[in-house]
Amino acid sequence: MRPEDRSYLDSHEWAKLDGDIATIGITDFAVEQLGELVYLDLPDVGRTLERGEAFGEVESVKAVSDVNSPVAGEVVETNDGLPDDLEALQNDALNGGWLIKVKVSGPDALSGLKNAAAYEEVVASES
Amino acid sequence: MATSSSETILQTPLASNHEGLGAKMVPFAGWKMPLDYGSILGESRAVRTTAGLFDVSHMARFLFKGPQAAAELDAALGGAIMDQPVGKARYTMILQDDGGIMDDLITYRTDEDEIFMVLNAANRHRDWEILTSRLDQTECCDLTEDGGGILAIQGPHAHKILAELSGGGSDFCPAFLDLGQIPSPWGDLFIARTGYTGEHGYEIFVAAEQIVPVWEKLLELGAAPVGLGSRDVLRLEACLALYGHEIHEKITPLDAGLRFAIKGWKTREFVGGDALRAMDEPTIELAGFTAEKRVPREGYAIFCDGEEVGEICSGVYSATLDRPIATGYIKKGVDGAFTVDYRGKQLPVERSAMPFVAHNSRG
Repeated sequence: MRPEDRSYLDSHEWAKLDGDIATIGITDFAVEQLGELVYLDLPDVGRTLERGEAFGEVESVKAVSDVNSPVAGEVVETNDGLPDDLEALQNDALNGGWLIKVKVSGPDALSGLKNAAAYEEVVASES
Repeated sequence: MATSSSETILQTPLASNHEGLGAKMVPFAGWKMPLDYGSILGESRAVRTTAGLFDVSHMARFLFKGPQAAAELDAALGGAIMDQPVGKARYTMILQDDGGIMDDLITYRTDEDEIFMVLNAANRHRDWEILTSRLDQTECCDLTEDGGGILAIQGPHAHKILAELSGGGSDFCPAFLDLGQIPSPWGDLFIARTGYTGEHGYEIFVAAEQIVPVWEKLLELGAAPVGLGSRDVLRLEACLALYGHEIHEKITPLDAGLRFAIKGWKTREFVGGDALRAMDEPTIELAGFTAEKRVPREGYAIFCDGEEVGEICSGVYSATLDRPIATGYIKKGVDGAFTVDYRGKQLPVERSAMPFVAHNSRG
């Protein structure tokens, strides 16, 4: 099973909360489905996101896909080096391949998202 | 092999071999086929540098027999069949009355009175309806689900590997498009020097009892298994048309720049011939583009100096060039700064000569 220290979206993004900062990425399953990555687009720092809003794009040899935010808030940091080092996303999507950090408004920022067990069912249904 | 009822997805006799090799299996034209064995780009490089092996047993295989077969097919297809020599393959098309392309295919003249044909899996049933309706005195047979199939071995090592498999001489198929027969431990193999990669390569037409051992032996001799994902990359690098992309019902062979596929079209009588002869010069042309990072994908609009001039047909990430490549129809003769609308974002692309990667198939 994937880490239980975070929450997941059906569209294969994860969010991990540390105080009022949520770190956001896509799951290893999303990366595996996409295949060999060729391009990543990240938002500018300062942009405000709604929950579910597309904030970036990830493109592979096979397909291009939107990346959606599991939380609402303001982008305070992006993983700057990642677009030029897609290996880190390809091989370590749940850790070093994080995409952005978002300042959220309250402790219930992750409420309503899937936990690891529920996300596992999404993966199973799409595998 | 599975039956062809509409609920059943067909699989080739190699399905469990593919799964054993870790293939990602996907539905394709009613068949379960290997998309890749882990790396589309790596498999593409294997074909360009050593040899790759494809299971293309999903493709439609038809056989036509009879003293009138060549003459009737000559009128039913876009290309000349009457003057096709025995022992040679030829690329041609099925056209509709207005000259639009219904499918592209390869004919193999296996005998004076016998023509074997390979067509796109997605169009198999429509092709069968069209061809059988256009042929009167010719015996037609759909062999696609006979338990055999087609293996394609492509790349600079293909000849050496096939010679080693046959254990016989290495003087088979000296020229591009030659047909041949080579011995193997599982009986003679019918082969053709054809392919869909632009590399020196062969297609092997295997019987039910041959397909699994021949596949396994070719891998053992050094060929790398290659999936449909890489097949699309390789064919686009070589600018070989794909039905549903560069060619379809609304495109004529003249639009597509494929006059070689309708040999003798100005004088021969064939379905679509009158329409083609009555047409003005095409107002569109197929153009090749390269891009910096992002792949221009099917349906993206193409602009020239800010004016919309066409649409992308196919786009892939080229393993050989290590950058995205694409084809698209544009208004004939336009020239300037080309851009593509990537889902709302205009980014520059560069017009490129075609093919993107030079052909070695005749070498």
